[in-house]
Amino acid sequence: MAVLGAAVALALAIPQVAGLAEEPVAIGVLVTQSPPGSVIQGTQVLDGLNIAAAMINHRGGVLGRPLKLVVEDTSGLPEKGRSGAEKLITRDHVVAITGEHQSSVCLAEIEVVHRYGVPYVNTNCWADAVREKGYPEVFNTSPWNSLVSEAMARVIKDMGVRRIVAFAENTDYGIGQAKVLEQKLKELSPGTAFTYQVVDRTASDFTPTILPLRTNPPDMVVTILLPPAGYLLMNQLYEQGIAPAPRTWLFDGSGISDYPDFWDNVKAAGKYLISLGFYHPRMKLTPFGVQVRDAYVRQTKHEPGRLIFQAADSLLVLADALRRAGSTDHAAVIRALSTTRVLGTRGTITFTKGHGATFQQWTGIPYVVYQFTDVRQALEETRLIAGPGVALDVHRLLKP
Amino acid sequence: MLFLDLTINGLLTGTFYVLIAIGLTLVFGVLKVVNFAHGEFYMAGAYAYVLLALRAGWSPWAALGGACAAGAVLAMVTERLLMRPLYATYTTWKVPKDEYAVLVTFGLSLFLMNLATQVIGPQSYRGPSLVQIPRVDLGVALISGQRLAALGVAALVLAGTVAFIRWTPWGREIQAVAQNRFGASLAGIDTGRASLVVFALGGGLAGLAGALLAPLYQAYPQVGALPAAKAFVIVVLGGMGSVVGSIVGGLLLGVLEAWGAAYVSYAYQHVFGFLLLILVLLLRPWGLFGERAREV
Repeated sequence: MAVLGAAVALALAIPQVAGLAEEPVAIGVLVTQSPPGSVIQGTQVLDGLNIAAAMINHRGGVLGRPLKLVVEDTSGLPEKGRSGAEKLITRDHVVAITGEHQSSVCLAEIEVVHRYGVPYVNTNCWADAVREKGYPEVFNTSPWNSLVSEAMARVIKDMGVRRIVAFAENTDYGIGQAKVLEQKLKELSPGTAFTYQVVDRTASDFTPTILPLRTNPPDMVVTILLPPAGYLLMNQLYEQGIAPAPRTWLFDGSGISDYPDFWDNVKAAGKYLISLGFYHPRMKLTPFGVQVRDAYVRQTKHEPGRLIFQAADSLLVLADALRRAGSTDHAAVIRALSTTRVLGTRGTITFTKGHGATFQQWTGIPYVVYQFTDVRQALEETRLIAGPGVALDVHRLLKP
Repeated sequence: MLFLDLTINGLLTGTFYVLIAIGLTLVFGVLKVVNFAHGEFYMAGAYAYVLLALRAGWSPWAALGGACAAGAVLAMVTERLLMRPLYATYTTWKVPKDEYAVLVTFGLSLFLMNLATQVIGPQSYRGPSLVQIPRVDLGVALISGQRLAALGVAALVLAGTVAFIRWTPWGREIQAVAQNRFGASLAGIDTGRASLVVFALGGGLAGLAGALLAPLYQAYPQVGALPAAKAFVIVVLGGMGSVVGSIVGGLLLGVLEAWGAAYVSYAYQHVFGFLLLILVLLLRPWGLFGERAREV
């Protein structure tokens, strides 16, 4: 209750201020706004950050000053992420940086923030390597590969799947997740044979690599690719009658099935897909989460995806740390971040003091496992297999 | 069984490569420039197809024509506004320099990709299928109805293009300008018109390829980047400016990639084409069907 009270104070109860004349507090935002990176992800993250910034400013900002987002486009390229971070710190004098959503770019950016000692909140970089660096400036509200892989391994173990073939994109995130999934399956489901194939994230034709599966179909295919490659692979697996099929399950390991363009791109290939998500309409939201969702629905007329909430959480923890630090000094904000305890969109956010993959990580991120049982099915109508308050029950899965 | 399956799929993919590469080789043959924005003509066709079919309610077959026209119009505008200054100075026997074209078309490529992101959005769109047959079982291979329909259209259009170049008056003018632009102009051929026609033809073919593949590979801002890279390999492989060379090169590349990806490693799928290219450049630098020299 105390936590709820603190969060409500931050998000709701701070008196409204009509106009904030003070100089804004600049928060650097690094997102993909142009190809070849994932612009769809970058757009969602920016939408979530803007909604959260508007809400925080509407309630008085932080330290009596409004928050101002200074956006740099990384194009999803590590070198542009590195130079973007450098610009935000030296030219724009930002207090902290957030927004990044692609692991390879994150890994480049955190080298810069570590050198300058600038606080950095990771919004959606899943690669464990981002945490394993152990940089004190980097805090992670994003899901991470070990969590995703362990959750998937538990489902796979209960399903009794014997042979899996995974396709992973050739990025730090993709290869990293495939390796962690392999390791988690060895621990949790030693009887499961697992192989993975690294594929080019810019490729469009995966037929040559999936054709051999027609003569020797596995029990499950796992996809670890972001769109558009993720969509293309799903379509080609379906087109070749490989998965989803009576013999073979299809499991999305990238959390792409709540993207706004998912159904327009996969159509019949998405039916029977099993997915792991970090937001689901049946997931309990906090008052802040409800406000974020409502604001997004008002703006877009669409149900939000997980990235909207992840982005809002990133900015919320920064605003909370600034408030508690009582200053914009980088070291003070980092100290405040390390003792974070704030009610985010989907639960109480704290950062562990652990090491390795859980270094300064919010480990309590709620997740759900669900299955689409129809084409163009809305997220809220999907079949929940596991989630907060829902024990894992693979018998609820519908066989293709 | 797998070998035949791979070969059939490789030939299918190769046919689509040819459709993209043939426009590029025609432009090079006539203008002696490498068009780095060719992939974006493909993108324009893909977008035109999905937007006309999904938003404007056109039938997929009508949208296919619209996409072809969109690619052609974009190419014509490019030729008139950006390429004319290049060959306005082609009034000597010397082979023109094409640095200008490289910079302009490279810039145009980046501009069009970013324009599509800003105007249409970053999300990908999947176009509707031309035929509503999910899969066709050929015994040795399972192929989607869309792939087969696209193959049929592509084969017809390619045959038509070859016939147009060989046997029509405009095609002969293009051949003459390709042999020697200045000489052709002295013979009374309107070289400006030949350039416009060849650019429109190349853009139209790229737009058509984008539309045929939009139900399979979707439409998104950077969708043309990889096909364009493949087209460059094919054009050099087959011999720059050679239509027959592009056809053979495209089919060869499609099959080689399919075999290599399945029997060696998918991770090196794109490497096989470049290895073949290096081999050809070492042993036969003018390409499989290219000319050793072009001098007057």
